[in-house]
Amino acid sequence: MSTSSPHALTAHWKKFLAVGVVALAVVWYFAFAGVQHHDNRQALSVLVGSLFWVAVLIGMLMLTMITRVFDAGWAPLIRRNWELLIAGLPVVILIGIVPLAFLPDFRHAVWYWTDGSHILPSGHEVGHDPILLAKSWFLNESFFLVRIALYVGVFGLLVALLRRWSFAQDTDRTAGHTHRLHAVSAVGIPLGAVTLTMLAFDCLMALSYHWFSTMYGVWFFALSIRLALAVTVILTYKLSNGGWLDGLLNQAHRHVLGCLMLAFTVFWAYISFSQYFLIYTANIPEETFWYNIREFDPVTNLKNEWWGVSMYLIFGFFFLPFLSLLFYRTKIVAGRLLTVAWIILVGGIVDLWFNAIPRQVYEKSAPEGFVVTPFLTSSLFLDLLAIVGFGGIVFALFLRGASRQETIPVHDPRILESINYHE
Amino acid sequence: MNERNERIHGVACTFRKVSDVFHAAEKVRDAGWKNWDVHTPFPIHGMDQAMGLPRSPVPRLTLLGGVTGFITGCLLTWYMNSYDYPLIVGGKPYWSVIFPFPVLYECTILFAAFGTFFGQFIFNRLPRHNHPLFELPNFARVSDDTFMIVLEARDPQFHVDESRNFLQSLGGQEITVIRD
Repeated sequence: MSTSSPHALTAHWKKFLAVGVVALAVVWYFAFAGVQHHDNRQALSVLVGSLFWVAVLIGMLMLTMITRVFDAGWAPLIRRNWELLIAGLPVVILIGIVPLAFLPDFRHAVWYWTDGSHILPSGHEVGHDPILLAKSWFLNESFFLVRIALYVGVFGLLVALLRRWSFAQDTDRTAGHTHRLHAVSAVGIPLGAVTLTMLAFDCLMALSYHWFSTMYGVWFFALSIRLALAVTVILTYKLSNGGWLDGLLNQAHRHVLGCLMLAFTVFWAYISFSQYFLIYTANIPEETFWYNIREFDPVTNLKNEWWGVSMYLIFGFFFLPFLSLLFYRTKIVAGRLLTVAWIILVGGIVDLWFNAIPRQVYEKSAPEGFVVTPFLTSSLFLDLLAIVGFGGIVFALFLRGASRQETIPVHDPRILESINYHE
Repeated sequence: MNERNERIHGVACTFRKVSDVFHAAEKVRDAGWKNWDVHTPFPIHGMDQAMGLPRSPVPRLTLLGGVTGFITGCLLTWYMNSYDYPLIVGGKPYWSVIFPFPVLYECTILFAAFGTFFGQFIFNRLPRHNHPLFELPNFARVSDDTFMIVLEARDPQFHVDESRNFLQSLGGQEITVIRD
């Protein structure tokens, strides 16, 4: 353990753990209470909170492997922080998604395709739904639970391997670890891509199991990388003001992170719009209902709250960061890049809300047999508390890891290139 | 020596080491020169700052091209599908920003690329088929193992003898006056 002053930060890990545990206790309490009263909204807070950090950490995992495969010279200095953070990925899935999936009450409340007696807008029960029966080779409870366990296993394995050999290099100074990590990443990228796609299908797309989009995994990947980069910019800014990146993080590091944020902002918009555009053009009811409930109130046929949310995604989550990041100075001036990172972070939460919360709720008196879950409810605060809670756990693990490992990969063959990185 | 040869393009000198040409460039920049250039066989990181060069203005033309392209795409699809020959396709409106989006997007990309390509032609003053520096016997060596600084006659500070002395004080060798 290093004793230099920048590492004083790591002593705070217990505070983060305490905040995380208290916040998650409150969230789980409300989720339990909600499920007892057949209200799934509080249980969705657990899903949104955990998926926010799952997205951030999957993004960091993919960035770790991508920079390994491409031998990115700028990366080692920043990548060590990703390696310290991704330890939280299997943990967040374990304490967030695994209980939701394995406790029957929560599973039935969150993923209603698992609840045979759930009533669909047509008035029929899920158990007799021919669409579900046709998909049951994939959407059946035992295979679902196996897949959830696989997500912990696959991500856990990748995280363990990437961390182990990178940390080993700090002490034994062997360049062979870099080649080994190169190989792990080359296999890990396609493996991680398939796993994160399945995770997005199971955790988010299956919330409305009638709906399907083959672009959903790519959308989740784009969102993950955007969120990962936003957290990286905020974290490295903090660590360069009194942390272990003090005096090391330079303008060129900000520039490369800013360029990646711009690239993935465009990529996210491209994927999100393409998904919308193909469904809009084909105009098939099985697909369009997913966007319809996010635009119209089925009772009044007027725009609903979710229309405002989608407008926020277009203007606040795409145009604002996109147009700001086009300018060179936004990418190099620390305060401006930090502001854009916060805008992307907030937009990512809104995007998760947009994807996770709206659903058709059976209502006999409504003309089409259902109403749409509203956006503005007090549960939004519970969502934010869940994000704080899981974040507390993630950063407690990060700081604890930072107190035990080198926070700079001192014997990475490219560390000097990374520290002296220039445009 | 006839009249044509009296016209002077500038004064050139060579350097043998990166650090020498780098520090010489900083001194030329600090002396307030505007029309001058450094020629090197490979990119030297930090040379932009050492020369005091501003950022390239090309991205502005790229943005201008992109915005023009988007508007052109809007007008194109609106005129064709909604104004000149109103046609309903696939139950979509005559014109909205959604169904022709691939057209708008492609026009944006195309015009942005035009802006970039022709923008760099304009700012690099291309096409240009010859340059007085090509007459310099040792100019070919700046693509091999030599670095060169050229002070151009069109700079207000230029004066043949003073500029030669200035280059000498910077440590430049093979100081040559280039004639047009």
